[in-house]
Amino acid sequence: MIEWFNQIQWEYLYDPELAWNSVPVLLEGLKITMIIAFFSMFFALILGILIGIMSMSKLLFLRMPAKIYISFMRGTPLLVFLFILYYGIPVLGVEFRSPIVAAIVGMSMNFAAYNAEVIRSAIMSVPRGQWEASASLQMGYIQTLRRIIIPQATRIALPPTFNIFMDIIKGTSLASIITVQELLYSSRLVAGRTFDSMTMYITAAIIYWIVCIILGYFQDRLEKRYNRYLSVR
Amino acid sequence: MIKVEALKKQFDDLTVLESIDFSVKKGEVVCLIGPSGSGKTTLLRCLNLLEIPNNGTISISNKTVVFDKKAPTKKEMLALRSFSGMVFQGFHLFPHKTVIENIIEAPLTVKKKKKLELINEGEQLLEKVGMFEHRNKYPDALSGGQQQRAAIARALMMEPEVMLFDEPTSALDPQLVREVLKVIEKLAKEGQTMVIVTHEMNFARRIADRVLFMDNGYIIEEGPANEVLEQPKEKRTKQFLQLLDDTE
Repeated sequence: MIEWFNQIQWEYLYDPELAWNSVPVLLEGLKITMIIAFFSMFFALILGILIGIMSMSKLLFLRMPAKIYISFMRGTPLLVFLFILYYGIPVLGVEFRSPIVAAIVGMSMNFAAYNAEVIRSAIMSVPRGQWEASASLQMGYIQTLRRIIIPQATRIALPPTFNIFMDIIKGTSLASIITVQELLYSSRLVAGRTFDSMTMYITAAIIYWIVCIILGYFQDRLEKRYNRYLSVR
Repeated sequence: MIKVEALKKQFDDLTVLESIDFSVKKGEVVCLIGPSGSGKTTLLRCLNLLEIPNNGTISISNKTVVFDKKAPTKKEMLALRSFSGMVFQGFHLFPHKTVIENIIEAPLTVKKKKKLELINEGEQLLEKVGMFEHRNKYPDALSGGQQQRAAIARALMMEPEVMLFDEPTSALDPQLVREVLKVIEKLAKEGQTMVIVTHEMNFARRIADRVLFMDNGYIIEEGPANEVLEQPKEKRTKQFLQLLDDTE
């Protein structure tokens, strides 16, 4: 065992010097990654809330499109969808200014479906009594949703929503395939020049992880805030 | 104050209420009793329009709404609902709001009253139900009895003409029942019109001006509390009360 350990040539697996020197290039990539991730989270959440609420509507012409949308987006791979968007849409005469925009549009649309499901289930998990109490106090639908249901649903939706956010951050790596020069693309660039892909992939992985740890910290803080009214006995 | 005529309610094929007629005078306290599944809770919920009746007429105060195949408009139903306040078996306080926030929520957002005035008003009401010292606590930090008293105050804040109670003490530990019943008795003494679904027969005997016994979706018997509870005329009422005596 020890023998095996000693004979590994670590410099082939990970070269700290190369990793350190490539940080500036990787940070350039990270910037793009964060831009895509940030906008995708934002639009996926807004779109997700909208579609989530639509999917619960009693009105068929609101519910049906939402259901079909969710089904399609959850049922197709993000990468395939990005290909269709980036290479297919120009055929229709519309061209994305940059692949970054295509990535943001594609990721927002795709992850909105997951957000919609999280929001639907969170709203449904608020007890029916809350709706009835609000109704008996003459509160309207929008008012009840905004002041009573959503604050409680938010607490329930937080952990799965942050799961999606982390998926979005990691999912930005797919954008490298449609030529977006984000974090993974940058690391592959360096890897191609130095013939040391392992160092670059591991470094990229660590950077993704750090970003997700920071995001997890925000999740923690938000959860504490939204749980403050519970079990204070 | 309340007049119900030929009320009928079906859930799919199941008829829960059948030709219900009854009325409640201003200041009167009416208790609905009967076995579970008899329709008493559904009847109460119809008065607050948490259930929409299939047929019949409901009048509360000066508002009359007729139910038939064509459902009444939202506006009409809201108008009818504004005359009644509802207290639930499960309290249903808003868990993310403190007691005082709970009780000013509806007048604040529905009636658009001033917040400071409402807090003033609300604190007086909380004093009355013995909840003043808990006004800044969240519901989760309160006992069931305290939650129910806060829920009563919340309904009263909308100044309803009629208070509807749906088994207000059924979800409570036995030692907490009294504090809630005392609040309801206090309201009765003040002349608040109330309809109460209850399984507390002693309470009904003490507080009710009239008792309605329901079974299988019909009102079987109605009359003054002591008559219905002490000398029931109908066989089913007798059976029901006998059963309660046996279990006590």
